[in-house]
Amino acid sequence: MSGPLVDFVELTLVKAAPLIYAALAGVLCERAGILNIALEGQLTVGAFTGVAVAFLTGSPLLGLVAGIAAGALAGALLGIAATRFGVDQIVAGTGLNLLALGGCAFGLTVVFGQPGASSEVHSLGGRGEWILIALAFLAAIVLHFALYRTAWGLRVRACGENPKAVRSAGIDPRNVRLIATMIAGGLAGLGGVYLSLGELDLYSDGMTAGRGFIALAAVIFGRWTPFGAMGAAIGFGALAALQFTLQRSGIPSELMQALPYLAALAALTGIAGRARAPQSDGVPYTE
Amino acid sequence: MIRALGVALALAAIAALAMIVAGANPIVGFFALFRGALGGPNQIAETLVQTTSLLFPSLAVAFAFRAGLFNIGAEGQLIIGGLVAGLIGARLNVPGALAIPVILVAGAFGGALWGSTAGVLRARFGGNEVIATLMLNIVAALLANYLVVGPLHSPGATGAETAQLPESSWLPTLLADTRLTIALPIAILLAFALRFVFDRTIFGYELRAAGDAPEAARRAGINLARTAFVAMALSGAMAGLGGATIVTGVLHRFNVALSPGYGFIAIAVALVGDLDPLRIIVAAFAFGILQSGSLTMQAYAHVPKDVVTFVEGLAIVALAARRFVAERAKTSPA
Amino acid sequence: MRAVQGVDLDVFPGEIHALCGENGAGKTTLASIAAGKLKASGGTVIARGVVGLVHQHFELVDRLRVWENVVLGHEPQRGATLDREAARERVNRLSKEYGLAVDPDAVIETLPVGIAQRVELLRELARDPAVLILDEPTAVLAPVEIDALFATVRALAARGTAVLIITHKLQEVVSHTSRITVMRAGKVVARLATADTNVDAIARAMVGGELPELAARRETIPAPVFSMHEISAGESSLAVRSAALEVRGGEIVGIAGVEGNGQSALADAIAGVLPYTGSMELDGTPIPPGNPGARIAQGIRAIPQDRRREALVLPWSVIDNITLGDQRRPSLRKGGTLDRPAARELARTIVERFDVRTPSLNASVSALSGGNQQKVVVGRALAHNPRLLLAYQPTRGIDVGAAALVQSRLIEARNAGVAVLLISFELDEVLALSDRVIVMYRGAIVGTFERDAIDRARIGALMAGAGLAGVAS
Repeated sequence: MSGPLVDFVELTLVKAAPLIYAALAGVLCERAGILNIALEGQLTVGAFTGVAVAFLTGSPLLGLVAGIAAGALAGALLGIAATRFGVDQIVAGTGLNLLALGGCAFGLTVVFGQPGASSEVHSLGGRGEWILIALAFLAAIVLHFALYRTAWGLRVRACGENPKAVRSAGIDPRNVRLIATMIAGGLAGLGGVYLSLGELDLYSDGMTAGRGFIALAAVIFGRWTPFGAMGAAIGFGALAALQFTLQRSGIPSELMQALPYLAALAALTGIAGRARAPQSDGVPYTE
Repeated sequence: MIRALGVALALAAIAALAMIVAGANPIVGFFALFRGALGGPNQIAETLVQTTSLLFPSLAVAFAFRAGLFNIGAEGQLIIGGLVAGLIGARLNVPGALAIPVILVAGAFGGALWGSTAGVLRARFGGNEVIATLMLNIVAALLANYLVVGPLHSPGATGAETAQLPESSWLPTLLADTRLTIALPIAILLAFALRFVFDRTIFGYELRAAGDAPEAARRAGINLARTAFVAMALSGAMAGLGGATIVTGVLHRFNVALSPGYGFIAIAVALVGDLDPLRIIVAAFAFGILQSGSLTMQAYAHVPKDVVTFVEGLAIVALAARRFVAERAKTSPA
Repeated sequence: MRAVQGVDLDVFPGEIHALCGENGAGKTTLASIAAGKLKASGGTVIARGVVGLVHQHFELVDRLRVWENVVLGHEPQRGATLDREAARERVNRLSKEYGLAVDPDAVIETLPVGIAQRVELLRELARDPAVLILDEPTAVLAPVEIDALFATVRALAARGTAVLIITHKLQEVVSHTSRITVMRAGKVVARLATADTNVDAIARAMVGGELPELAARRETIPAPVFSMHEISAGESSLAVRSAALEVRGGEIVGIAGVEGNGQSALADAIAGVLPYTGSMELDGTPIPPGNPGARIAQGIRAIPQDRRREALVLPWSVIDNITLGDQRRPSLRKGGTLDRPAARELARTIVERFDVRTPSLNASVSALSGGNQQKVVVGRALAHNPRLLLAYQPTRGIDVGAAALVQSRLIEARNAGVAVLLISFELDEVLALSDRVIVMYRGAIVGTFERDAIDRARIGALMAGAGLAGVAS
């Protein structure tokens, strides 16, 4: 089965998968009250660690696991900074993005002895790529279920709205938020691994190409819900796919690349309807 | 002060560790770093060039911060300022005495336009300026790439850059055979001007009120929407002016890679300088050392220059903790 | 300095115990320690079971449902999932058991404050507390709701729960409790049996001496200053609807009402920070809508309800706070710059006249006590000969001495011909200060009483909605 439409759908899914992972990470963090603008850094860390470990061990599966773990660790850094040290989340997120960027570029030189890009490694392969794509959709379903049907999800949502109420219910909102940022970091790390070991078989500086920021836009478009964010991520994936389809049509590729960001800016004017962000989204809670 | 020193030492220790991981001797590394940055008149001049390029966006970030706005978009505003300066500068055919001010003002105007877009979103629609400026950063880079490679491509230019500006449009240098230009005194003057605005003027007073206690400011007759718009526009103008000085003073052309992330490092600089324009001058010099020394460090001590970016990121996280914890301690309920 | 020092307190099963004290005496801190929300630096807390705490400012998640709030932290599980049916069932059972009717599926932000308090109470009761602490539970309730609350509390005590009520409403203390502990400056200063004491004795113990006297009211000849017609503003249950009122120079008009009945919208409309329909006039000229700065220049000054957020820039100095709102006044500027010496002189005058206790004029106002902060706000509002002074809960959260000073300054302003509009949830304060009392209920003005015709019982009834039955005064 092939043809232009099938190709387009395939490409849309390929481009959407990392955005779905990152957008779900964004939803989870923001529902817990942490505005995670370090998604880009977490994608980067996941992508690099995956390739580095796959290179050192020869096993892309170990790379996958390491990439998720590294993403979770990067998420934990944000979570610890935000919940234990009262760091402003936006400033910390900006710092962590720089840290990830510099750290991975540094690591690249150390591990592969060359700047810019790694050498090619054993990737997860075509099948692996499609499993990861399917997992992205599954992750959205699981997150939806977890947020709305479990006690943990209730606590997460309560933390995003009013952490003091969570505190007075006898639960430490700092722990809830920290765990949310770690899981989110793992999701974003998985998105990064998908980029470097799923879609490709190497890491290069800047390969995440702003997907972490597109994911933030998807969170707003998706009104802070897992399915909404997934839908928005698929939409942005379709835009990316369209870019390839329209390559020779004369429409500048930069315009196509800019569309998700322009759409996000438009969303900020409220034309997509005024969904409300969680009340304590980005508001520090310390004791 | 002692804590700031503690943070600096901790960061240096982490950097040293990173150098060891990279198989380098940290003493050699640091020595190379400082030699590269301060080892002679030319090195010092280059460090001051980096200081200048950091100072403009750092003042921009601090200005918006003081008005209670997170301008994470200094990078995009700086790029647009440089883009406008490059596009106009390469085409302008007037004497230098006229060309230079025109180019600089045009660059500031471009940055202001970019900043005020986020300002409008915030003032008119209540949109989050953090997200807006993040998105505008990327749109700026894409726009610059498109224009320079595409419709506004200069004949004779190679790659993603404009043609060189005529020599008459270059900023006058302060030191012969260096890239150190009058942009440095302009930036320092700007810092002093900002200090005056904050401390002495009604405009600065209202701006700070809007930042420190928006609801009290609103009830005191201060128009928050207008303040947000003006603050973002002026912040953008400062960053844009910085971009224009890089074009007219350092590269003599616009190149899409003109900024190694000055707009982001500026956040660290502004925080280290405690949002005080004069202390930001000192902070910008410190970060200028890191920027200009990192290449020497890479070349002679074989330490990847990216370790600097890594340390700068760490610095932002660590210093944000210091500043905002102190802030909250002051305002938390008794 | 410690908020609480060396305090011993016993509360027995089945008793209703009152904890009294001025603002800042350490009551809330003590409650937080007892409930385990705050760690004491020394001493022990022994409780025969769970300690529940109902907060003064409810700690509920506004956008979640009643049942979600009630089970938060103690969720019934069915396998890996949250058992919603069991959760609703738990709410219904508790509702029935304690006579606190509430719809388990209602979203908190849609509920009136009285019902929201029930949810907070239910949440604590769900944990079957041996000790229940209520922090200022009647602050947001109408008299009828207060009676219902105390009925619930008595039922709880009858079942053996130890109840500790923190309140500054001494009449309630005398009517509903059996023992009283009085705190001052972090220490226990009196332990009283309710049967052997009275309101005055408790008040004297709280203050540590006689109550300060208020300034004398002088004869004034009221002249028209401010009027408003058909003013509607705000949203839903907090809105004000077609309200009309007049405040003349030389009189204090007091608005009586339970918090959340449109007072906030009314005040914000007058201050020009909330859009409204209808018209307002000052000295016979219409006031253009929506410009707080212009109103300040015209002489409409406000003491906002939340001084820390709406009135002061906490990190700033006393001087800089005193010029806030007047930064463009010609006497305080030199062209586009601030006139620092003039500001300092003005601050010095206000600090002296209002007895603001501050280490210096350059000290940050965040370092001042609540009472002294409020003196800065009131002094600023009265500094430039206002025409209309809008005072919203001007003595909330400040000590008795500062409160008396603030109230005296309001009376003096009235004596000098200022039109004063006082909005307060403390009926006693309204009755003591006002030349005319207006009652607000659900955003409407439901009654007006001249000072010589004040009927306390009638006002209380109107505050609870009796006016809606068609027996408006």
